[in-house]
Amino acid sequence: MGKRLLSFLMASAALGGIAEAKTVIHVMHQGDPGWVATYGEIAKRFEAANPDVDVELIYAPHDAYNEKFSAAVMSKQLPDVMELDAPFLANYVWSGYLQPIKPLVDKDVIDDMTESNIAQGTYPIDKDLYAVGLTDSSVVLYGNKKYLEAIGARIPKSVDEAWTREEFEGYLEKLSKLEGVKWPIDTFRGYGIKTEWITYAYGPILQSAGCDLIDRKTWKSVGTLDSDPCVEALTMMQKWVTNGWVVPQSSGTNQFFAEGQPAALALGGHWFYAEAAASMKDDIVVMPLPKFGPKGASPNGTWIWGITTASEHPDIAGKFVSFMLKDKLYRDYAREDSAYPGLKSFAADSPLYAAGGPMAVAFEQASKTAIARPPHPAYPAITSAFMGAVDEIFNGGDAKAALSKAAEKIDEDIEENDGYPPFDEQQ
Amino acid sequence: MSDLAIPTVQAKVKSERSSIGSLHMVQTASILVIALVIVSPLFMLLIASLKDDRFQILADMGSFRAFWVSSPTLSNFAEIGNLSGELAFGRYLVNSLIILASTVGAGLIVNSMAGFVLAWGSLRGRALILSLVIALYVIPQESIIMPLVIMVSRAGMTDTFAVQIVPWIASPLYIFLFYQFFAQLPKELFEAAEIDGASVFRIYRSIFLPLSLPALATVSILMGIESWNQYLWPILVTQTDYARPIAVAIATFFGQDSIYWDRAMAASVLMMIPILALYLAFQRWFVSSFVGSAVKG
Repeated sequence: MGKRLLSFLMASAALGGIAEAKTVIHVMHQGDPGWVATYGEIAKRFEAANPDVDVELIYAPHDAYNEKFSAAVMSKQLPDVMELDAPFLANYVWSGYLQPIKPLVDKDVIDDMTESNIAQGTYPIDKDLYAVGLTDSSVVLYGNKKYLEAIGARIPKSVDEAWTREEFEGYLEKLSKLEGVKWPIDTFRGYGIKTEWITYAYGPILQSAGCDLIDRKTWKSVGTLDSDPCVEALTMMQKWVTNGWVVPQSSGTNQFFAEGQPAALALGGHWFYAEAAASMKDDIVVMPLPKFGPKGASPNGTWIWGITTASEHPDIAGKFVSFMLKDKLYRDYAREDSAYPGLKSFAADSPLYAAGGPMAVAFEQASKTAIARPPHPAYPAITSAFMGAVDEIFNGGDAKAALSKAAEKIDEDIEENDGYPPFDEQQ
Repeated sequence: MSDLAIPTVQAKVKSERSSIGSLHMVQTASILVIALVIVSPLFMLLIASLKDDRFQILADMGSFRAFWVSSPTLSNFAEIGNLSGELAFGRYLVNSLIILASTVGAGLIVNSMAGFVLAWGSLRGRALILSLVIALYVIPQESIIMPLVIMVSRAGMTDTFAVQIVPWIASPLYIFLFYQFFAQLPKELFEAAEIDGASVFRIYRSIFLPLSLPALATVSILMGIESWNQYLWPILVTQTDYARPIAVAIATFFGQDSIYWDRAMAASVLMMIPILALYLAFQRWFVSSFVGSAVKG
């Protein structure tokens, strides 16, 4: 009996030793239940392929991710791998939370990234890659086929054929007079003023018009955000609102495909296709964003994966990221979710975005017109100030005054942080 | 004179009756409108939870179709009502109930004891302690949340039930509510028991606590609602589904790109049921608790 007990204890100790010898990596992520389950499965598969590693998943809801991240920073519990929203990358790198990912992730994954995907994961100071994703994002112009045919609108099939500003505004006017159309366009004001939508979707309208949220060389906003092209672009959008052409914020985000299809056009994200096509079937056409000035512009950026500086096992963290991005289950689920490809191999395997697919024009934008949001540590201040200005303008405020105020606010934040060195040295 | 006066009085009475009748009608109509405004979102929630197409739910919003379901189904509830797996909302509901019951149970004991000692104990500096307790009440929870996160993470308490219960057991508001209630009870009760040789704890347990049912009910309801509606704290301190409450779990349906309205609505109905049952069971206390806490707190 005594011997048996001793053997049992020794075996337990040995097993305990094995368990202790396991390397644990923490992976922080967000996502709906489908994604949560997918990450859970990937973690299990990675553990099966690497029996000496335990993957512990840390979940935070999408809308409270920043709070959860702040808590992790303050309590010094940063995970090894973290999902992050691309425009916040510069802030995280500048704050010292992320490390370069290129040496840690498989070369074939890096080589597989689209230009837009590389742009969203690159830190402008050292031009190094800090995050990588399977997916990316874009905004296109959805149209109701029967309304567009009724006004004789030209339907562009590629980015090069995008509507000009004159065409676009002319069609809005015609649509406003067409029977059955209550609002010529939904710009998704229903997403509210506290989401990233305004900067993400309306920023490219400014860039297309020939200006930007901030000068990307001097990192000054005054003189750029409140420049004439920006003021004119926002005045143009204000006119759409005051003319009653835009679905109001109070009417939600479903007017393009709701009963009676009261909105004729929708300036919506790639994810909107699944919602709209489910109701409208073949009545939906997908077009590139119009050219509001000298060049075309479209947004990019989504949730991507980075490895933190707090990681004690960055090599294993990198191995996990590589494993996940190549995992069939991950790709299958992303495809089902109409995810916008950020890797070329995934694009080739996504019929929705492949040549001839209904969203092909959206993918074409990634290589031709995509512009990342300002990769600067002051981005949280930039987006907050711009959102406030747009809200003020849409509610009847003076565009020049609102944009000047926002530009000053952004510059103040940068000055208060001593120019976020070394960003100040770029000037 | 009298011939003329009678019709005048009758007319006046008739007119008064009619104006009272009109007033009643206006009152009833107002109540109906208010009830409609309050009940209609709940009704819409229930109807939406019986539809299995999230896109249809979104398309129906903003029209009267939001209040009608042609082929009701319980499939959303079947999908989410599991105790394990991807959509273990049954488990999250149980987690929330465990957290609620433990917080309220322990909270009643701790806060009532503290209130009793402050009201009747022989503690030195009771007035100062009471002032400090009241002063603590004005500090908003959000302002101490980050230091608290650091404390619990250093104590290794993250992702446990305890971390969602322990910090919220003692509360200045509830200590003060109990203090107020106990302080109003006659001094003779305490003195008589003391003369009979009862200890302070015995006086608390056998005399004052049984008399404080209204205060216990008020605190239970207020604490229960507070615990049930906790959102930010569990987000910060839970990591896996082990101790995740239902309020946090529902947020998973609001993704970066799309909202799963069908399941979110069903989960919201699930979350509403226990608190609705509590409300119906303690309706009388519920109203008086709000009045009481507004006056006293």
